[in-house]
Amino acid sequence: MLVKNTFAVLMTVAATLILSGCATEVKRIGVEEVKDLSGNWNDTDSRLVSEEMIRDSLSSGWIDRHMKKTGKEPTVIVGNVRNLSHEHINTRTFIADLERAFVNSGRVDVVASKTEREGIREERADMDTHASEKTRKAAGKETGADFMLIGTINTIIDAEGGQQIRFYQIDLTLISTADNRKLWTGQKKLKKDVKAAKFR
Amino acid sequence: MGNSSSIQAADASGFTQSRSLSRSFFGAAALALVIILPGCATYSSGFAKVEQAAAVRDLDGAVKTLDELKLTGADEALHHLNKGTLLRLQGNYAESNKHFDIAKELADKLNAISVSEQLASVSVNDTMKAYEGLPSEQLMLYSFKALNYLQMSDVDAAAVEARQFDIKQSQIAKQNADAKYLSGAFVRYLNAMVYEAAGERDSARIELQKALDGYKKQNSGFPVPASLTADLARIKAGKPAPSEVVFILQNGLGPSLHEATVRIANPNPQNGSSLLSLAVPKLAKRSVPVARIELSAGSAVASAEVVEDVNDIAEKSLNDRLPGITARAVARMVVKNAAVGETKKRSNELGAFGLLANIAMDVGSAVSERADTRTWSLLPGVINMARLPLPAGKHDITATYYSESGAVLATRVFKDIEIKPGRKAFVSDYYLNPPAQAKAPQ
Repeated sequence: MLVKNTFAVLMTVAATLILSGCATEVKRIGVEEVKDLSGNWNDTDSRLVSEEMIRDSLSSGWIDRHMKKTGKEPTVIVGNVRNLSHEHINTRTFIADLERAFVNSGRVDVVASKTEREGIREERADMDTHASEKTRKAAGKETGADFMLIGTINTIIDAEGGQQIRFYQIDLTLISTADNRKLWTGQKKLKKDVKAAKFR
Repeated sequence: MGNSSSIQAADASGFTQSRSLSRSFFGAAALALVIILPGCATYSSGFAKVEQAAAVRDLDGAVKTLDELKLTGADEALHHLNKGTLLRLQGNYAESNKHFDIAKELADKLNAISVSEQLASVSVNDTMKAYEGLPSEQLMLYSFKALNYLQMSDVDAAAVEARQFDIKQSQIAKQNADAKYLSGAFVRYLNAMVYEAAGERDSARIELQKALDGYKKQNSGFPVPASLTADLARIKAGKPAPSEVVFILQNGLGPSLHEATVRIANPNPQNGSSLLSLAVPKLAKRSVPVARIELSAGSAVASAEVVEDVNDIAEKSLNDRLPGITARAVARMVVKNAAVGETKKRSNELGAFGLLANIAMDVGSAVSERADTRTWSLLPGVINMARLPLPAGKHDITATYYSESGAVLATRVFKDIEIKPGRKAFVSDYYLNPPAQAKAPQ
């Protein structure tokens, strides 16, 4: 009888364990919450690096120098950030993070990227035909950027067995569109120790 | 007296429990056999229809048939490798890479040891282990992914694959120190082109040198591609890359694995299985259909070279794995024989039910012995590459395939291929033997 009961209890526990794995579980987490799953570049890296680098850029003195010289806030365009790393990194989210950090600082004007401009120009051309004369926007009044921010994401990986040391280096450079002078260069480094499971 | 009867009752109850558990055990064993055995059909037998559809260029049909095979669980990685290949042949490069990505993630995940799978592989058969891809297949995956990116003109993403490959290849080379065929020479040759296109000329030079060394080391029965040696000399001289078309042909299909089974009558059948079975995989090479390729655009003509011999690598890989596979098969034979022996010993206690369990175990132990014939079947037998320098602009490219006897097998025209100044345009195609020939192993 005792054996029978134990067997029944074991079967129930096993069934519960098996069935609990069948349902998809969704739990909402805060966007700022750090969750490292694979050790790859993730949203937290993108956000922290962009915020820190833009903070560094805004405090480096090039804005004050530009304002002193022209009396106007500088206009910046965020160009391409090339992924030269070992991972498929979605640089679009990183570029968006950089733009957001620049815009929210209130100290520089940011103009639309090349593809965004093309969309706006199409819209402007469409206005010529369909919008009222009062609300129509004329061509040739776009603001040209004084500076362009470009960069690279590089990695060095040292791997042995199931362990990897991943070193990320993010370099950003602000270049004057008028004369190609480099006004600011920023660098941020990250290092991760990733260990793969030996058993599954 | 009271105590005594109480003890007797307990004994009787214990016997009933034991008998009930025995029945449950044998019932479960018989049920397990029923569940396992339908899944025992070898992988290669179910895959023939996919290959036949691909051979007649019915890629939609091939994808549909592959999906119907429902390769999940232990065979999931295999499904994604083959599906990624079919989608690549269809020109659906982005979707193809999604499947290759899943296969790559699974290979990394499955690299960790599963104790239950290891136990199952020495008690049932090797197909109980999840398929993570052979080391040679895992290396080849990077070249297909990079080619997909190159054909989508995404050089930076192809360069990511090249960097990942470098880490993977060095890990695999360390784990298989004597396996010279795992040099990844072809992938490195391709990666050199990727690095040069990405503006990393130093990395390109290093990859070309490693590819050259790899080709020499792996000694696959074809010469080091002349285009590689020319590239290395050019890059060392600091000369820029010309505008050109790089044409890749996935020529035929790589070998399939068949099952070789040895069954002998047990000299001591009363204490074990009636038949002792041992199954191991056997390589069946398939003929490479295209012997010569001519690539042309107007008056410019180039011929192709062999850059990878998958057949040769698969053969060397199986020869390396065979001692381990055979050792596991022998261990399984011993385990199964002991299990059947135990069943036979206890079957007398269980009457008619015992006899049934006895037969089920005896037959099951022989039938469940299957060789692991899983392989990335849609890999080509040989990969050929032709490089045709052309001025920048749009060109119509013609590829003509000749058989060994010099007969034209097919002529394919690729229209409006755009080549940018100093850049390479990648074009790829495949050619398979017609189904009747494809089925017959050499």
